[in-house]
Amino acid sequence: MIRVENLKKTFGKNEVLKDISVTIKPQEVVVVIGPSGSGKSTFLRCLNLLETITAGHVYIEGVDIADKKTDINKIRTEVGMVFQQFNLFPHKTVLENIILAPMKVKKQSREQAVKKARELLGKVGLAEKENVYPDSLSGGQKQRVAIARALAMEPKIMLFDEPTSALDPEMVGEVLEVMKQLAREGMTMVVVTHEMGFAREVGDRVIFMDGGYIVEENTPNQLFNNPQHERTKLFLSKVL
Amino acid sequence: MIQLAGSFIESISVSTGFRFDLLAGYMPLFLKGTLYTIGISLFAIFIGLILGLLIGLGELMRNKLLSFPFKAYVAFVRGTPFFVQILIIHFGVIPVFLGKTNGVAAGIVALSLNSAAYIAEIFRAGIQSIDKGQMEAARSLGMTHTQAMKSVILPQAFKRMIPPLGNEFITLIKESSLTAIVAVPEIMYWARAFNGEYYRVWEPYLLAAVIYFILTFTLSILLSHLEKRLATDDKS
Repeated sequence: MIRVENLKKTFGKNEVLKDISVTIKPQEVVVVIGPSGSGKSTFLRCLNLLETITAGHVYIEGVDIADKKTDINKIRTEVGMVFQQFNLFPHKTVLENIILAPMKVKKQSREQAVKKARELLGKVGLAEKENVYPDSLSGGQKQRVAIARALAMEPKIMLFDEPTSALDPEMVGEVLEVMKQLAREGMTMVVVTHEMGFAREVGDRVIFMDGGYIVEENTPNQLFNNPQHERTKLFLSKVL
Repeated sequence: MIQLAGSFIESISVSTGFRFDLLAGYMPLFLKGTLYTIGISLFAIFIGLILGLLIGLGELMRNKLLSFPFKAYVAFVRGTPFFVQILIIHFGVIPVFLGKTNGVAAGIVALSLNSAAYIAEIFRAGIQSIDKGQMEAARSLGMTHTQAMKSVILPQAFKRMIPPLGNEFITLIKESSLTAIVAVPEIMYWARAFNGEYYRVWEPYLLAAVIYFILTFTLSILLSHLEKRLATDDKS
């Protein structure tokens, strides 16, 4: 579903991703962990080309996304993304946030988009909030709206960039719950997070990144209980 | 009431030597001048807004070669006095196009080109002030750059542009007084004519100041109303 080959990314002279190769299968939930500055967010952002790719290839369902002939907007409709800072549109209501892209990009009718949006709002437990503005929502509610907004495009893959890092601790659970449900429904997910409990419980595979490389990848059970590399052991000893 | 006001004015005129009688004769001209001031200002605001938006978007182009002319234009206009600009346009630019000088045309063109540079900066700053996560979120949903600009960035940026745009419009109304030197028959033109005819200073210039103040003050009240209304639009 996603195939990354020898991906490199540099910002000026700073080499953030050195040589990343990984394959992600349909319905797989891959959790990416690692210290700050390890390149895990940059890696995620390369998967929908929010960061340009310096070298190497990223294939989404066989399509090379960095190819000049590829319509990246088309690819992005199939790859939803949830951000650490939510990035809801503050000048639009919750409902308008969700229906904007389906109407503009997929040319859905308003009725069609609203119907889908209400269904998704119900799913994330915010059916009664459709007419409020993001400003009046809590962080956890904002992030659930952001997830609904991404799902409205009916993506095949969902990318989560530290979705709970900007939340107050008591709101982390409600967001993780929505993500767990999504995983159970068979969504292909790539999740950058510091929530080791989530990685352990929901992840099919955990990737540990450091210094722009994938140091180790394994099932959560193996990686957490039996890490092979010193770097992984050191990191886990600090966060677990 | 009118009698009372009349006697009040008369008593001021007697005690200060203020010649209301001379001003009364000039009132139709000041009125006409005020309409000219409003007219050229409105024209200049309209043209300045359109040019300013285009120049502002030009400044934001990623290609440095393409954005350079727009940045250079803004730097030139902001770095030279309006007084000089208006003389260049009146005696240099307008004759090239019209074959002869034309004060009103020169006034409108000079004010438009001048305010366009400032408005471009307001647009540029307004767009750049929007968190880049907004563009990323819109693009991540598959929207094109243009769609994201239209539906997500510009509506938010526009709201932030209103206070500085209001300042710019007020500045523009005041700067329009300089078009008097190329014989645009606006407020200051008639004030100077009055001064020339009667050798009196206070009557024409004080009246001119009062008229300008009424214009700019009214505008600032209108703008603050608009600002408040847009601010409350967000939170229903």
